[in-house]
Amino acid sequence: MNSKGSDTNNKAPIKLELLITIVEKNKSEFYADLIQSYEVNFQLTMPARGTAKADILDYLGVADTDKAVIFSVVRSDKLDDLTYMLGQKFRKIRGGKGVAVSVPFSSIIGTSVYAFLCNATNTVNGGFAK
Amino acid sequence: MSDNKYEMIFCIINAGFSETVMDAAREAGARGGTVIRARGTAGKEAEELFKITVHPDKEVVMILVPADIKDAVMTAVYSASGMNAEGQGIAFSLPVNKTVGLQ
Repeated sequence: MNSKGSDTNNKAPIKLELLITIVEKNKSEFYADLIQSYEVNFQLTMPARGTAKADILDYLGVADTDKAVIFSVVRSDKLDDLTYMLGQKFRKIRGGKGVAVSVPFSSIIGTSVYAFLCNATNTVNGGFAK
Repeated sequence: MSDNKYEMIFCIINAGFSETVMDAAREAGARGGTVIRARGTAGKEAEELFKITVHPDKEVVMILVPADIKDAVMTAVYSASGMNAEGQGIAFSLPVNKTVGLQ
């Protein structure tokens, strides 16, 4: 970290985490929209499937294992609120159960990419460099 | 929940071997996993040099496990479908900061 200079506006950069959310396929758009509302600018949704065996699915009366995995880049200061909200939705929405885990980024390169990922709107038009 | 009680194991294997991976992982204590289809790439020169053919159809198996059984699960997965097995898999794990929806 650069500690040179007398600029008192220098703040530690916001840390980013990769949030991996696994939900039922038909609820993926709902959860992607929900996550996006927490200043998340970049998400990837991929089709996936669960690995439960056929006999367990029959026992539970579940028809399919179709899932979606949503990878979202989230600011760490928004993560507590977001995970709390996700936990509420996982419990309350019918057929909306899911799992979410977060993994910290160790590094990222590119000022504009970083600003985009952490939604640093004050950095637009050169504000970041000042 | 925080402080790395869980780890996420990623296992990248040739398509069709996710069940082999999951069977091994379950034996070592994992509860379940999620499979994503993927496509592998490799440099043509490296393939020729090392005499390895990279099967482009891949599957990524993600397994969330308690940190204390991570080593056992990874060892089991690698024994069942590591680079020397038919699945030609690689596995790595990432520390998980937070989890939601496990209870």
